[in-house]
Amino acid sequence: MTLKAEEILNILKNSLGDALIEQEIKTYSLGALRKRECSEVWIKIDRGAFRKAVEEIFKLDYPHLHFITGEDVGENLEVIYSFGLFHGQPGKEISVVIKLALPKSELVLPTITDLMMGAETNEREIREMLGVEFEGLKKKRHLFLPDDWPEGKYPWRRDEFGVDDMIKHTHKSVKEIRGGKE
Amino acid sequence: MTKSQYYIPIGPIHPALKEPIRVEAKVEGEKIVEVDVKRGFAHRGIEYMGMKRNAIQALYLSERICGICSISHPYAFVVGSEKALGIEAPPRAQYIRTIIAELERIHSHILWLGVVAHEVGFDSLLFWTWKGREKVLDVLELISGNRINYSMYMIGGVRRDLKESHIKALKEMIDYYRIFNQEMKNLFLADPVYKARTRGVAQLSKEMALKVNAVGPTARAAGLRMDIRQDIPYDAYADIEVRGIVPQDIVGEVYGDAYDATLVRIYEIDQSVDIIEYCIDNLPEGKIMAIPNYVVLLSKIKRTKGEGIGAHEAPRGEVIHYFKYDGTRDGPAVWKVVAPSYNNINSWAPLLLGAEVADIPVVVAYIDPCMCCNDRIAVVRDSSGKIVDSTTLHRMAVEKTMRIKKELGVKE
Repeated sequence: MTLKAEEILNILKNSLGDALIEQEIKTYSLGALRKRECSEVWIKIDRGAFRKAVEEIFKLDYPHLHFITGEDVGENLEVIYSFGLFHGQPGKEISVVIKLALPKSELVLPTITDLMMGAETNEREIREMLGVEFEGLKKKRHLFLPDDWPEGKYPWRRDEFGVDDMIKHTHKSVKEIRGGKE
Repeated sequence: MTKSQYYIPIGPIHPALKEPIRVEAKVEGEKIVEVDVKRGFAHRGIEYMGMKRNAIQALYLSERICGICSISHPYAFVVGSEKALGIEAPPRAQYIRTIIAELERIHSHILWLGVVAHEVGFDSLLFWTWKGREKVLDVLELISGNRINYSMYMIGGVRRDLKESHIKALKEMIDYYRIFNQEMKNLFLADPVYKARTRGVAQLSKEMALKVNAVGPTARAAGLRMDIRQDIPYDAYADIEVRGIVPQDIVGEVYGDAYDATLVRIYEIDQSVDIIEYCIDNLPEGKIMAIPNYVVLLSKIKRTKGEGIGAHEAPRGEVIHYFKYDGTRDGPAVWKVVAPSYNNINSWAPLLLGAEVADIPVVVAYIDPCMCCNDRIAVVRDSSGKIVDSTTLHRMAVEKTMRIKKELGVKE
């Protein structure tokens, strides 16, 4: 069974109701001589409805988790999940991208590791890189960062919890290092 | 009952691994009862660096993410950036990209076959396969000037065109690999010892492959028909109708073990050769860059707001890049890279449970791990103080192969 992007969006709209803040279907034409349409569903939801949205996606098909990432946008962290639905069927895979804003005062999300074991790697990475706590995540040891990484430092944050003070030259241009002289 | 549980950490530095990672296993006798994997020994903060640079610099930085497949990350980078920025590469460039990506698949798969042969103790086979790998590296050097890090791709096209002499060399190479791959099938797949050593080892069921989010040949060996070239076709793959190679299509049954992983990879070399042949026969004429001037390209990037997801089927599985360009700077504001080993390493813990110590190198090697992508021997002591070093572990793996050889009655 496969569904079109519009049908997936309708299902999500019906089950989420007001929790669905923004919605968009992005269509690209890919290919060189024979163009193919490829669609992606991008939605922005209220953080409280996250678990419900994920469960709804798991009902449609067992998805493939593309990635979890996040961005520090000042007041909030914007966390982005991307799921691939209907993989394994030629030209039919549709990405469903879920965005949600987490206020910095309450960086908590429910885990999805009970639905998909492999999401543990992604959640542990987000936890150490952005400081988002996942409720129900069992292993909390550092994954990519060293075990003796200082507490309260998160490499992807752009505020006082970021790592700008830990870095010397890697992110500066030659001009900045030499004090404005090329 | 004596205390029989021992702690065996493998890595971060170990000959079974081309790159650093640490597998911590608890064993009872020969059986493994608990596993933990520690990653991050090759974490270089490349995503962070990329977010401080402009898009063209970040593109060539992405080529350095992986030590082996240096075109997989740039491929996902250009596909994702083109989606985010609304640029379309000319058809000729799209075909050249596909040719380079498939050349890389051939060399990467042969590399893996050599490594796995070494892992089970067939060192002569390692040298023979790697001798065959030289041919494709020579062709890549002829086309791009480098054996690795080809710097061919650009957002909206490729930087170098294919000349007549390149196409001639590609055709010669195709003939060479048609024969070479046939020999590899005989040496690997028809060999009783290789079959006995890998059949049932690192066996991943279809359900488990889905649960651990496995990708690429690892998932296909488990019978999952997933391949980005087939699911979300892009560039020349959309013209060719690529189909993911799964064991049930070749031999009619799926075990999902290291033998099936070998089967899938060897048949994918055939597929890559066919794709390259199609691409050079149908190579469209025309320009190779949508925006040939880099200053113009960078100023377009600076003006554009957009998000995109780029996906490419690398030799080891899907590579996904997420981009956000915010319209204030000429580089990505957010750049997230997910490499195949990032997902495939998830399969180690369930696979190693209940396996034997001598199987660790095979289980670890079968997904073709690439730590540079994922992360971006220490002295090993068990609780008795005895040192189980990497040489011992490799010797145990070789001894098991010898034992099987004897049991099967194979003469040297």
